Amino acid sequence: MAKTKSDLLQGTLDMLILKTLAVGEMHGWGIAQRIQQTSQGVLNINQGSLYPALYRLEEQGWVASSWDVSDNNRQAKYYKLTRAGRKQLTEETANWERMSAAVELVLQSN
Amino acid sequence: MEREMRFHLERETEENMRRGMPPTSARRAALLSFGGVERFKEECRDVQRPRRLETFWQDVQYGVRMLRKYPSFTLLAVLTLALGIGVNTSIFSVVYGVLLRPLPYRNGHELVVLRQQAPLAGADNLGFSVKEIEDYRAQNQALEGIVEHHSMTFTLLGGQEPELIQTGVVSANFFDVMGVKPLLGRTFLPEDEAHGAEAVLVLSYKYWQRSQHGDRDIVGKRFRMNDRPHTVIGVLPPVPQYPNENDVYMPTAACPTRSSERFMANRNARMMSVFGRRKPGVPLAQAQTDVATNANRMQQQYPDVYPANRGFRAVATDLQDELTQQARQTFLLLLGTAGLVLLIACANVANLALARVLRREREMAVRAALGASRGRLIRLLLTESTLLALLGGALGIVLAIFSTGLLVKFAERFTPRAHEIGVIDGTVLGFALAISLLTGLVFGLAPALSIGQNLVPALKDGSGQSTASPARQRLRNSLVVAQVAVSFALLIVAGLMTRSLLKLQQVKPGFDVERVLVMRISPNWSKYQSNEDYRTFSQRLLDKLKTQPGVLIAALSNNYPLNPLGITRGPNRNELQIEGRPLAPGELPPQADFRVVTPDYFDTLRLPLVSGRLFNDLDYDPKKPVALINQALARHRFGNDDPVGHRLSLDRGESWATIVGVVADVKSYGLQSAAVDEVYRPVAQTFGAGFLLARTKVEPAGLIRQLRGAVYDFDPETAIDHVRTLEDARSEALASPRLTATLLSLFAALALLITAAGIAGVMALAVAQRTHEIGIRLALGASKSAVLWLVLEQGMRLVLVGLAVGSSGALVLTRVLSAWMNTLLFAVEPADPLTYLLVALVLAAAAAAACYLPARRVTGINPMIALRSE
Repeated sequence: MAKTKSDLLQGTLDMLILKTLAVGEMHGWGIAQRIQQTSQGVLNINQGSLYPALYRLEEQGWVASSWDVSDNNRQAKYYKLTRAGRKQLTEETANWERMSAAVELVLQSN
Repeated sequence: MEREMRFHLERETEENMRRGMPPTSARRAALLSFGGVERFKEECRDVQRPRRLETFWQDVQYGVRMLRKYPSFTLLAVLTLALGIGVNTSIFSVVYGVLLRPLPYRNGHELVVLRQQAPLAGADNLGFSVKEIEDYRAQNQALEGIVEHHSMTFTLLGGQEPELIQTGVVSANFFDVMGVKPLLGRTFLPEDEAHGAEAVLVLSYKYWQRSQHGDRDIVGKRFRMNDRPHTVIGVLPPVPQYPNENDVYMPTAACPTRSSERFMANRNARMMSVFGRRKPGVPLAQAQTDVATNANRMQQQYPDVYPANRGFRAVATDLQDELTQQARQTFLLLLGTAGLVLLIACANVANLALARVLRREREMAVRAALGASRGRLIRLLLTESTLLALLGGALGIVLAIFSTGLLVKFAERFTPRAHEIGVIDGTVLGFALAISLLTGLVFGLAPALSIGQNLVPALKDGSGQSTASPARQRLRNSLVVAQVAVSFALLIVAGLMTRSLLKLQQVKPGFDVERVLVMRISPNWSKYQSNEDYRTFSQRLLDKLKTQPGVLIAALSNNYPLNPLGITRGPNRNELQIEGRPLAPGELPPQADFRVVTPDYFDTLRLPLVSGRLFNDLDYDPKKPVALINQALARHRFGNDDPVGHRLSLDRGESWATIVGVVADVKSYGLQSAAVDEVYRPVAQTFGAGFLLARTKVEPAGLIRQLRGAVYDFDPETAIDHVRTLEDARSEALASPRLTATLLSLFAALALLITAAGIAGVMALAVAQRTHEIGIRLALGASKSAVLWLVLEQGMRLVLVGLAVGSSGALVLTRVLSAWMNTLLFAVEPADPLTYLLVALVLAAAAAAACYLPARRVTGINPMIALRSE
């Protein structure tokens, strides 16, 4: 059951991660924080579910990871957008906009 | 992943604490918002594509662990495979170096050897005369360079001792056609070949290193040969030399024989070998037709030179085939047998592995129950077997490195390419790797595929060791049967070769080989121009040598029996005429090998006189020529008549020599060939006899230094080489069959050993599996010998089936290959019953021992313990 929920979220979550990484290199916790902040707490996802998504994106070749020292002097795994990832982000954003516009149209029609 | 998530949680906890939470609840909150660490880890793993490399690496690690867990299995399997792979790798390195590798010349595949033959007169290599070479050059369309080669020895003076130099006499463009570039200086130019040109030499790399110590300023240096100065113009790179090894090369104009007017004008003076290069794109068949056409034209133009009753033809062969023709059969036989040894080794390891799978059935079942697919299990087992095979392969390569040197010596006897057999190079390594992998697959497949579809019964079975399924039992049995059968075939081949060698060793050569020293002596011929000069020289030299302490008697001869050079070249076929026997029209003139000897030759060799008399010191008068013939010639040409008193001519009737006696036959040209017809003439009436033979009182090898010294004392300009005893010559004549038989016996012994180990392994397992049953039988009153017999019977039945399959297989095989086998065998039939019987006995005895040792354990079974052991 949990699976279906995350499946539902999957496309969007991937896009959110890509969008967040578009700003710059970041580690997992940072990504979670940033999504929470920018969505002003509305999208309160399980932080853990970030990781399967990140691994998936890495498999697809949209993000790349490397270990580095974090701001508080500890080893952390940083993710960054690849060229393919950037392209994917534009595509998904366009898709999303089309979708949400369509959804809005449906919702507003009476 | 672990580390990454931990970092996340720590970071979140800190953040929560910064917001004012106490540490414990901060941590709790972090975990809550993360939401199930393990669950997400799992999900992450699912996301990652199944990593082949990673699971492969797991399998490898697991494999290594299994191999270490069963060290005795591993050791046995690795050793068996190492022997199999090592044998194959080293034989392959020989086959590759000799048969497969392209010739080390520029476009070596285009080079061909021409050959003129007179099949009706039994001559398959006549050689070429200058006139004939000119004809081929003028008429041939398919070849772009036709060059000649012959080899002579000349004496080089000026060093510490006179030195005999093997000299290749070649066309000026010989090296260009072969595609060899000089290391120093230049090779020959057309002007070097012009009549009266300055004599020039090109040194071979080996000679340059050996005798001139690699002197880089050698070009321009002068050597004195044939009473003429010869200038060195170049040095060859270290290429193998065909058709034989020469120390130096000279152009045709510098060879006194070859450049004489008379020789050049005589179409019948055939001495040269001829090579050519096919024009690019011209197939061998076309070159052959072309050469054959040339020969036909010559035959029509000069019918008196090429009599129809001898047949005459010319053929072209690829140089590569020509050089390896003799080696091919033996090497392919060895490669075949080595392959069979590897197959037996594979069967053995497969059987061992099967037994192990049986013991691991539960483990497999548990793995399957935990979700491993059948494919995954098979892959696991295959990884294990490949690992084993690679270990075996690595050890095998080490074995091969050690044995290759030995094989090069062996190969030398068959082909001039032996020196190209390198240490293990890339291709050979590749071969070793390939057979290792293939081996892993072959022996790994049987046990891996035997993993059943349904492993549930194995889990239910509490004993931890399932009883063998009938299918698997059959597989194991057929592996043993196959091993026995293949071993049988191998033993037959080795047995036949050994029998043939023994027969060869028993052959009486017709003379006494013990205690005779041979050396080749070459006087400075320019000092002995006439027959008379030479006769005095030889007479006085022999007189001097006969007085040497330790020498019984000595003689000179133009050749000696079992001379390795003679064996390679075969007998001379000189035509002779017998007085009063005109040839019928179309009848071929008699032929005989022609020997020139001093009177004591027969006593020196202890070669018996059959009738008439031997030569004596008075037989020097050129007006009263005499000859001796051997029994073979007497039998063939005189039948029951006494040949003594008849006359024969060796020069087409110009002079007639009286036959004064008949001597016994000698196996001059190899122990396996029948004695050839021979005519002996005295040195005093002919000319030149290069070999000195001395019968000694003690071991002749101890007298070498003394006799050399005596010759130099007598004439310091006489060169000496080719020093050996007749016993050396005989053992050399046996060397290649001996080596072949030894190698094959070694392979067969290996096969026998591996097979015996295999049978023992199967029996040990059978005993283990039947312990319970045997316990019951013993408890019910069966006698110990009865149960022992019961178990033995199980093993011996397999062996007998193997013997039956093997013997019929070997019979069929030797029948199919009989033509081929006959060329390798001497005086032994491929279906020799004695060999079959002996081999069957040996194999049965070895198998019985292999069955008995593990089976013996059943007699020690205590019925009470055996019954409880379930």
